[in-house]
Amino acid sequence: MAARKAASGKLALAPVLDLNEASVLHGQLMSMRGKNIVIDASAVERAGVQCVQVLVAGAAAWQADNKSFLVEKASDAFETTMQLIGISEANLVAKEI
Amino acid sequence: MDMNEIKEIFFQECEEQLAELESGLLKLNDGDRDPETVNAVFRAVHSIKGGAGAFGLEELVAFAHVFETTLDCVRSNKLEPNQDVLKVMLRSADVLADLVTCSRDGGSVEESRTRGLVKELEALANGEAPPAAEAPKAAKPAAAPAATPTDDSGFQPIPFTFDGFGEEEDAVEQFTYEVTFKPARELYAKGNEAALLLRDLSRLGEMSIACDTDQLPALESMDPEASYFGWKISITTPKSEDEVRAVFEFAEWDCELEVKLAEVSADEELPMVPVPFDLSALDEEPAEIVEPQPKAVAAVEAVSSVAKAVNAAVEKKESAAAAAAAATQNNAVAAASSAGQTIRVDLDRVDRLINLVGELVINQAMLSQSVVENDTNGTSNINMGLEELQQLTREIQDSVMAIRAQPVKPVFQRMSRIVREVADMVGKQIRLVTEGENTEVDKTVIDKIAEPLTHMIRNAVDHGIESPEKREAAGKDPEGTIKLSAKHRSGRILIELIDDGGGINRERVKQKAIDNDLISPDANLSDEEIDNLIFAPGFSTADKISDISGRGVGMDVVKRSIQALGGRISISSRPGLGSTFTMSLPLTLAVLDGMVVTVAGQTLVVPLTAIVETLQPEASAIHSFGANQRLISIRNSFCPLVDVGRILNFRANQANPVEGVALLVESEGGGQRALMVDAIQGQRQVVIKSLEANYTHVPGIAAATILGDGRVALILDVDAVVGASRGQSLKPEMSLAAAG
Repeated sequence: MAARKAASGKLALAPVLDLNEASVLHGQLMSMRGKNIVIDASAVERAGVQCVQVLVAGAAAWQADNKSFLVEKASDAFETTMQLIGISEANLVAKEI
Repeated sequence: MDMNEIKEIFFQECEEQLAELESGLLKLNDGDRDPETVNAVFRAVHSIKGGAGAFGLEELVAFAHVFETTLDCVRSNKLEPNQDVLKVMLRSADVLADLVTCSRDGGSVEESRTRGLVKELEALANGEAPPAAEAPKAAKPAAAPAATPTDDSGFQPIPFTFDGFGEEEDAVEQFTYEVTFKPARELYAKGNEAALLLRDLSRLGEMSIACDTDQLPALESMDPEASYFGWKISITTPKSEDEVRAVFEFAEWDCELEVKLAEVSADEELPMVPVPFDLSALDEEPAEIVEPQPKAVAAVEAVSSVAKAVNAAVEKKESAAAAAAAATQNNAVAAASSAGQTIRVDLDRVDRLINLVGELVINQAMLSQSVVENDTNGTSNINMGLEELQQLTREIQDSVMAIRAQPVKPVFQRMSRIVREVADMVGKQIRLVTEGENTEVDKTVIDKIAEPLTHMIRNAVDHGIESPEKREAAGKDPEGTIKLSAKHRSGRILIELIDDGGGINRERVKQKAIDNDLISPDANLSDEEIDNLIFAPGFSTADKISDISGRGVGMDVVKRSIQALGGRISISSRPGLGSTFTMSLPLTLAVLDGMVVTVAGQTLVVPLTAIVETLQPEASAIHSFGANQRLISIRNSFCPLVDVGRILNFRANQANPVEGVALLVESEGGGQRALMVDAIQGQRQVVIKSLEANYTHVPGIAAATILGDGRVALILDVDAVVGASRGQSLKPEMSLAAAG
């Protein structure tokens, strides 16, 4: 467990999570595979579905890797968008097992 | 890319949409009931409306809106597209086309026309149309018009009240709809955002949503720009189904969408999550986002390529290249139903390429010639390489020519409108049948053929087809048929216009020609010659000058236009059965297959299509006639011999025919002449260079070309040369005819 905790990372989401950002976010997540990760969603002003797709796929990947994937400090816009498009917290969280 | 260029793209797309619209309506008219045809028709009007909205073309938007509303009734099976309905639709398509033209070129469409049609369209949408227009679906709430951009432009959106749904819309009545929404990749690619559409939907009422994430692949194999999520939504709202659909109006083609009234017991596969009413957190949109106000988005996104470009111009965020790429890509999407992948290229660029390839051909010919001159045995590697080069050049040239080739379909479609309008005007029933619309020909030919063809069609409707009463009396179908067909034949395009009317009244034509001093009263003319008199300048058989087929300047102008294109026109007619006009036109105006000949030391090119045969005259076959005329006897018939060198003033005196070669050519009216030249050098394809553009018009010369040795050769205008020779011999000919 200690060894796992040694590798961890933080990812701050951009304010605008639009089509262009989806590829960027995908690249960032791919480069952080294998680490526990904390996503900072406090700056998000607009979240598009494609970025959410990447985040949900990310959560599933982290779950499969047995690493933790946590979204914290979500902005109102981020949270409301998640509710609006029917994505629950469970879709976005992978817990270290 | 400035706004004008974007607007230009919009108008180009309008042309395509209008063509789609018309061809779809004609298909429906022929009994096609494929829902995709109806959809294509609807889409066409819808796209025009959307794009027009982006440019503030209110009149166009207003009319398109009413038209679209009625089409929507057809789409949703509320209105049966029978012949009467389609008549209104076709006329509406004509007005829409006129409105587009006016929006582009200025001017205005007669208000009474637009207003009258709006009323008719509204009546159809209201179910006041023919009995077939009953509303079968009673359970649906009244469909109020979706967007109402028309309020301030004189058109009132129509409230639909279908039979069986008698009750007034009740403000407190609530409906629950089940909405299934699955965006396609294109939805995002065109700048739409599913979350915003869902936000707008949620504002209509109380909404619960379930997101289907099953399609989402693993992170490493996913495409971040693809669309994987879909939604199942339940919404309770006082709004009509159409209003619910209207939320997705401008993304409708890029998603799977189903909206239906909820069943009493909805069987939920996915757990629904209520969506919060307070969505204010989503209202603040950062300034730098490329996201116009919702209304503007709606309007702009309709013509998506334009939308991209508008965004580019307004936001200055995308480079012109990106906008152009988007325009091309989206255009392909818009035209998906009709074509494969296409790109839009400025015609000037294609022409420049054609010119350059022309230069290449000439250069290659020059190179070949100098190699041949220096390599008499013709076995060197250079010589063999050159042959391959020659073949390649020819292939490149053919391919480049193919770029300019376009199907004749748009011109043919325009003709169906003319038939409709003119037939209405003269109270005749006429059906236009087209064949071979996909036959391709050079764009210049297409552009120039429209006018003569229009004239001929008008003539056929006005003079060719008889009135329904006359037809019935003659035992014919009261509905006349005009057939317009196109096909390729030996390197040319053959366009035929066949009517099943009364045929040419030869007695009247002959009398008219005599009255107009075109022929002498006792001239003995064959049926074919009489028929061809209608092409004579100033000839008109219409007893009254009508608005439709002009003032007797008709057919000779048609003939001249066709000839100016290097084409020929002929007519054959059978009394009581109808007439056939046949036009033969070159496929391209850029190259020409020609016979290279020598005349008085000059090199000339005679178009191969004009030449019937070549022959070496014998002294016994030459006969003098009058002071300067000579005839050549060919297989027991006489043909005037024309010395090209003399006609073009290359030499002062006529050459000895026995020392030269005679080219038997067919000229206008089908008559033959023997053109005398000194020698034949060979046959060659030559690149046509305009004399007018580079020098000035020379009588008797059609154009010029550059030969392999670098010299300029003139291309003979066969008809002009024959005409000039006839000018000298016209009188003797007439007296000959008079003598019988």
